Amino acid sequence: MSLQFVVDGLLTGSMIGLGAIGVTLTYSILRFSNFAHGDFMAWGTYATLTVVGAIAAMFGKVAPIAPLSFGWPLIVALVVGAAFTALLALLLDKVLFSRLRKQEQAIIAVMGSFGASMALRSLLEFIFTSRPTYFSRAIQIAMPVGFGIRITPDQIALLILTAALVLAVHLLTTRTQTGRSMQAMSQNPALARIAGIDVASVVRVTWVIGAALACVAGVMIGVLVQIRPLMGFDMLLPMFAAAILGGIGSIPGAVLGGLIIGLAEAGAVQLIGAEWRAAVSFIILMAVLIVRPIGLFGVRER
Amino acid sequence: MNETVLVVSDLEAGYEPGVPIVRGASITVNKGEIVVVLGPNGAGKSSLIKAVAGLVPISRGKVLLDGQDITAAPAHIMIRLGLAFVPQTENVFPRMSVEDNLKVACGILERRLAPARIEEMYAAFPDLLRQRRTRAGNLSGGQRQMLAVARALIVHPKVLVLDEPSAGLSPKFVSMVFEMLSDIRKSGVTILLVEQNAKAALAIGDRAYVLVEGKERHEAAASTLWDDPVIAELYLGQRPLRKDSARHTETGGAA
Repeated sequence: MSLQFVVDGLLTGSMIGLGAIGVTLTYSILRFSNFAHGDFMAWGTYATLTVVGAIAAMFGKVAPIAPLSFGWPLIVALVVGAAFTALLALLLDKVLFSRLRKQEQAIIAVMGSFGASMALRSLLEFIFTSRPTYFSRAIQIAMPVGFGIRITPDQIALLILTAALVLAVHLLTTRTQTGRSMQAMSQNPALARIAGIDVASVVRVTWVIGAALACVAGVMIGVLVQIRPLMGFDMLLPMFAAAILGGIGSIPGAVLGGLIIGLAEAGAVQLIGAEWRAAVSFIILMAVLIVRPIGLFGVRER
Repeated sequence: MNETVLVVSDLEAGYEPGVPIVRGASITVNKGEIVVVLGPNGAGKSSLIKAVAGLVPISRGKVLLDGQDITAAPAHIMIRLGLAFVPQTENVFPRMSVEDNLKVACGILERRLAPARIEEMYAAFPDLLRQRRTRAGNLSGGQRQMLAVARALIVHPKVLVLDEPSAGLSPKFVSMVFEMLSDIRKSGVTILLVEQNAKAALAIGDRAYVLVEGKERHEAAASTLWDDPVIAELYLGQRPLRKDSARHTETGGAA
């Protein structure tokens, strides 16, 4: 048997994990399940693609950074795309979510996010059509690294990027005043206000982090797989599964949950067959929740 | 000497519009005083101080802090204006360490002042220093109350407002909490508190108000209030013996 599924699983898991950070933050701080999170991913990816196109129009063809398949335009475009996605999330919060979050029942905001998800997706199909597209059509040669595993330079770069981003977000939320304010909001919003925390600014930071990471995850999918308007929506269930598996509210948990689901899916494809892909990750999710209902890193509510 | 810090005048407040729980209450707190608000259950004591702290909507009246109108300022602004509130329950962040609880409260201080302020709190509350890495949710009831008070004091408030600081504590911790409040007052902090435990609160208080049906009905020096017949009537809800009460007793109807 080949260990190739480990690399595939880590890559899928990274995409799921980065997306799940936003899901878990939205759930624990804003207190609703944001079903539009997957569509932030897709919008971020198309925004990045558009900027790449604009840069190509302005500067002509830019040589990729050897041995990667992409050059500086994609890196610049990713930063712009992440900023755009953050603005999109803030805008949606202003016109929609902030109103729905005021309602007593969380289900109202959840259904609102479902509507936003469908609207965002349809709009994307309207603008870009539903035909798949790519950042680069160049074929990368995968390098053998032993144990029957082959990996491309792009894959290595994106795994490093994921690790760096996860570490940065973890440090931000545990070591900075902003992060402590976010924790405070998730543990006791009323006391957070009393302690002088400006709730509106914590809400903004939460959206910005979640949306920017969603954009990065989407661009990863775009670089390694393909770009489609449905790409984010298809990630929605794995992302929620990862967030729940890791323990809602926990950033390391969301990432670990993503990696477990990614590895399980990739392993299932190799060992059982591709049609079992989604089923296996959910069987694992259910098994973990039976043993540990609060998830791996979850904390029991008082 | 009698410089007023907090003036609450003719305050009407409640969660639902048109259903006031606080009905025209007026109290004043002078600098360096401990003022106690007593009253029977449901008198609106907690609602009164929560309205003062910006947590219950105010429909009428004014709250002045050092002469500044702070009526209905949002809760997160109150602490910046100098009014620190300690809720009765859930007054710490349970899954954060003691130290992070204090750090998060320093958010409105200048960044460079925060470490020194945290050390000052540890000096004032040595128990917290010993438990600095403990999750606040794992503290004992008394220590948790200490942390909640330290969290409020860390930003040098002009007035510290507490909602039943002894609620749910064992007798040992109750006396500890009241001693702590007495010490805090000695350090110059003005305190307004609501208490069910009237005897313990009056022992450390300077003045007290008795709140009934959302309005203050009696104000007295704390030292005299405990023996005042008014407290039995208003606070304990007992009526003085009426002329016809003897007949009730004969028929076994009197409670």
